[in-house]
Amino acid sequence: MKSLVAPAETAVAEAAPPPKSLSMRMPRLKRAQVLAGVAFLALGFLPLAFGSFGLYIAAYVAVWAMLELSIVVVTGYAGMISLMPFTFVGIGACTTGVAVAVWGWPFWLAVPLAALATVPVSVMVGAASVRLKGLYLAIATLTFGNALGETLFKWDDFTGGQAGHVMERPKLGALSFSGDFAFYVLSIATALLMVWAVHGLKNSRAGRAMLAVRDNEREAQALGINATKAKLTALVVGGMIAGVGGAFYLALLETVARSGFQSPYVELTSLLLVVWAVIGGIDSAFGAFLGAIALITQTVVFQGAERVFAYVGVYAAFVLIIFLLLRPGGIVQVVKIQAERIRENPSRAIPASIIGFGIQVAIIVVILVYGAE
Amino acid sequence: MSEPILSTNGLTVRFGGITALDRVDIGIRPGEIVGLLGPNGAGKTTLFNAISGFIKPDSGRVVLDGQEVQTMFPYERVTLGLGRTFQHQRLFRGLTVEDNLRVAQHRHLKAGPIAAMLRLPSWRRDEAEARALVEQMLDVVNLRPWRTRFPWELSYGTLRFLELASVLSLRPSVLLLDEPATGIQQKEVEALGPMLKRIRDETGCAIFLIEHDMGLLFGVSERVYALDFGKIIAEGTADEVAADPRVLESYLGRTRREGAASA
Repeated sequence: MKSLVAPAETAVAEAAPPPKSLSMRMPRLKRAQVLAGVAFLALGFLPLAFGSFGLYIAAYVAVWAMLELSIVVVTGYAGMISLMPFTFVGIGACTTGVAVAVWGWPFWLAVPLAALATVPVSVMVGAASVRLKGLYLAIATLTFGNALGETLFKWDDFTGGQAGHVMERPKLGALSFSGDFAFYVLSIATALLMVWAVHGLKNSRAGRAMLAVRDNEREAQALGINATKAKLTALVVGGMIAGVGGAFYLALLETVARSGFQSPYVELTSLLLVVWAVIGGIDSAFGAFLGAIALITQTVVFQGAERVFAYVGVYAAFVLIIFLLLRPGGIVQVVKIQAERIRENPSRAIPASIIGFGIQVAIIVVILVYGAE
Repeated sequence: MSEPILSTNGLTVRFGGITALDRVDIGIRPGEIVGLLGPNGAGKTTLFNAISGFIKPDSGRVVLDGQEVQTMFPYERVTLGLGRTFQHQRLFRGLTVEDNLRVAQHRHLKAGPIAAMLRLPSWRRDEAEARALVEQMLDVVNLRPWRTRFPWELSYGTLRFLELASVLSLRPSVLLLDEPATGIQQKEVEALGPMLKRIRDETGCAIFLIEHDMGLLFGVSERVYALDFGKIIAEGTADEVAADPRVLESYLGRTRREGAASA
């Protein structure tokens, strides 16, 4: 087919091609990746410096990153606005509670069960998503989450009653994850593994089908993509991720009250999850992690305040609006733009890293000042 | 004469009281380039939509590669070898040029979501295969310099070629092109005719084409159908159809009858 080149040459000659040599960029990119990896590892040990509280908050971030990842798949990749992510978390948490606290299963077996337990609900949302799009699907999921709160989460055997099931942190043979550091390592490793998995999904047949359906359902169909299947896959994968997140949510808190999965808390938490996923970078797996950091920072700051949801809501809305106006791609877009600028002009690396470091320090200081009380 | 790869039989589409397609019979043989001619509102795009499954016909059959497909979803028809472009192009805004070409390989790839999430060998094979075809297609339409750009960063003409590369990535046996020359520069239009012939020669796919640029349509088509008010009014070689009095009448003015199709 190479002979087709000639006629098209005239066709595309009018716009200047961007002069970018890929071979020149590759080694530098690799070095940057190594540096970023080392920095990331070092950052991973930072919570140790703040003792038990620091580790607890870091584990909290890891667990919420898992919850945010489910939104990346459903809303970021497949473009469906589901306003019931926290309901899926609840299903995962309660299933884990039943399996571990009632049936005596090991935590490691309860995690896949928690993931599978979300599938029937995902399929129901999927059935709705065939007919409902955009805002209508958002409203339908909002009411569906509410309805499950009034039915499924009023079932005492499932939720463990008003107070919820009590579960100890997991053990693996002689290895116990009940300590702060051990649980932090477990949850951050799981969260990063899930970030890696969700990132891989994006560059695959199934993931590209989701992105295509998000961008243009009709054209996707014209290219042989079953739009219904792509959406359903996204919902099931997203639901399972939230289910796993729910299992770790219970392991983190050791008990979860069912009121969190009932109106009005379930709607508020779901909305906050979606808002911070957008702020992090909705179609980026790494963005979910950044969104979770930002979310937990604000939670710690406003924790214990009177009318906490009012503060949190106003603050989140304010940050969301600023990002949507200036950087609709979220924090990930900011990072990418900075990386691009550093690549063009390496001397910018120093001020950029000072600012980046300053933001990290600011986050830690804020958490310590507000949280340690 | 070989069996047609694509044919319609008594295909009828009504919108309310309007008959947009009225018992249309066409047949496209493998490797043939066929033009579809007709004034605005004749039902050309409606015919494409009915063939590709975006409109459900009220009666009649669509046969693709020996199979009746009129009740199938659009994506199922694609898996049987049907490719189409739209009059108003619809690429994926959020995907780079490369990824637009990867999406189009959907029917040839296999790895599921779990394989991708765990980076299993089936996913690796898939991506290697996809990458190879992307490279080939970037060469075919000479879009290599734009590979990491997004569709909205490209000129209209370049987009048209990306769209063509995307539909070729399906490796179709029949290609429906809805006004491929609209909105592109004259020198690009001139390049399009030979390009379509080469695509046919090298891939062996049949091309069914709607085009308002008569030079392109008559230059490239081996056979032409003329459609007016939802009916086939003439069929034959380019010369025959161009000289047909009914075709001339439909183009050179006359008062339109009532019940005109609007497609």
